[in-house]
Amino acid sequence: MEFVSPVGLRLDGRRPQELRAMRAQLGVLASADGSALFEMGNTKVLAAVFGPKPVEQRSREDEKRAVVRCEYAMAAFSTGERRRRGKADRRATEITKAIRNTIEQTILTELLPRSQVDVYVQVLQADGGTRCACINAAFLALAAAAVPMCDMVASCAAGYLESTPLLDLNYTEDAGGGPDVAVAIHPNLGDRLVLLQQDSRLAVDTFEEVLELAVAGCRKVAEFMRQTLLEHTQGLAAQRAAGDAAAEAAGGGGGGGSDEELDADDF
Amino acid sequence: MAAAAAAPPPGGELQAEAFQRLYPDQYLAQFVTRGLRPDGRPLALARPTSIGLGVVSTADASALVKLGSTSVLAGVKAEVMPAPADTPDRGRLTLQVEMAPLCSADARPGRPSEAAAVLTQQLTSLLDAGGVVDGRQLCIDPGRVAWAVYVDVYVLDADGSLHDACLLAVLAALSSLQLHAVTVDDAGRVTKADSDAAAAAASSGQPGGAPAMRRLQLGCQPVSLTCGVYRGQLLIDPTAEEEPLLDATLTATLDEQGGVLGLYKAGGSATSSHERLLQCLEAAKLRGKEVRDLLWQALDAADTAALS
Repeated sequence: MEFVSPVGLRLDGRRPQELRAMRAQLGVLASADGSALFEMGNTKVLAAVFGPKPVEQRSREDEKRAVVRCEYAMAAFSTGERRRRGKADRRATEITKAIRNTIEQTILTELLPRSQVDVYVQVLQADGGTRCACINAAFLALAAAAVPMCDMVASCAAGYLESTPLLDLNYTEDAGGGPDVAVAIHPNLGDRLVLLQQDSRLAVDTFEEVLELAVAGCRKVAEFMRQTLLEHTQGLAAQRAAGDAAAEAAGGGGGGGSDEELDADDF
Repeated sequence: MAAAAAAPPPGGELQAEAFQRLYPDQYLAQFVTRGLRPDGRPLALARPTSIGLGVVSTADASALVKLGSTSVLAGVKAEVMPAPADTPDRGRLTLQVEMAPLCSADARPGRPSEAAAVLTQQLTSLLDAGGVVDGRQLCIDPGRVAWAVYVDVYVLDADGSLHDACLLAVLAALSSLQLHAVTVDDAGRVTKADSDAAAAAASSGQPGGAPAMRRLQLGCQPVSLTCGVYRGQLLIDPTAEEEPLLDATLTATLDEQGGVLGLYKAGGSATSSHERLLQCLEAAKLRGKEVRDLLWQALDAADTAALS
């Protein structure tokens, strides 16, 4: 299969260093403290955050910092072939750990002693890059839940096919067998690398090139999420300024504000 | 709001929010005696309902149903399988309800919840009993190949009356499901007709070209309504906040002719009188009409979108 055409376009018409279209919406689930729907091309991920709240299992309680619990799941219809993915699925366990470690490094857990933060991510539609989309969705949901964090965390992957570094691989490109470098960074802390995963043979020079591309992609993702958060916050501020009588009567809804709802149009 | 929370008003008067937390039962009672619900609805009104079709492009059919803030996503995958040995002329439909841990603050990750298993069982038996999908429609070549249709229902936000929302999502997804035309050659190889090519053939009016996509003919359209009994009053479509306080809940499922397909009342301290039962059925009948109209609109909109 030809992944990059002679004129330098990829299978889905993108240039090698182009991200897929991103879309994000915050506060889509009423019952969660924070939630977000994040899309990257055809990959759609829903994340929900519950907490900070008291630790459920007393034995896990930490008097110095918060406990972060995370779960990643894929909908049975999210991939091309329907597959029942068990909860103990090894791939899911691995991705869960990658997401948990990434957000644990981002949340200021020492500010929330004796508490617990639950982060659940559900892939609704998968087209490559679910790991990165999940981290981005989890970050947005955490921000919507007003969990204190040291910085934003933005994630993006890059690959290398036909001697060309490619940003943000889709499923077809991912299945092309080339290396895939998944990266998550703290963009405002000097692009500090939080997550880096790469598991195939790759020359060091090429690796550096691909990593640089992935980090550049992360920065673009971060800028997009920053914009989304700004708009969301401005929306909340406008709502408060308008003195929403209904919200006041209902007791302010705990300040979370689920002004936007999950709608078929969001998909 | 923040200032009020920081400094409690003198006289020890409770804030509405605190009162709701401490005395949820009395809180609800205050509303119900005035003929209202905490979310502002009258007692006999269901929450605003919306149906979105085709929201997940990797699924063969999908539907996102919202009932107030209860959100349910159903996705259908159709796969070709060898015909079952015991029923060679029928395909198979499998339904699974999953309550993802993100659906509510009480849900726990790990083992599937009891509620999800109960819903799966209830909906499966409703589909069977109502003859919603005739297994013979899922036959491709008797004795050789048949369709295996998987309906996966994900509860994204659990805010009460899940049975109604899940059933509607399943019905909507199945109504919009189109099965590919499939050809089986002598060697038993199965090829799916290309939907694009067939659509082109259909639009050019090519004679002899069998339609590539086939809608399922549903045997009936079951729609359910959950009614709660609270201090002698009937609350239609209870929310998650109201559900644990109810004396009893009753879920009635009716088909489009008003025939009863299922009634479910699990325990509860209030015994249902005959009169109460009829009241619920009447409400369910009205609700069914409303919901089927919504479904028609959604299917129409999806068809128009597909044509343009």
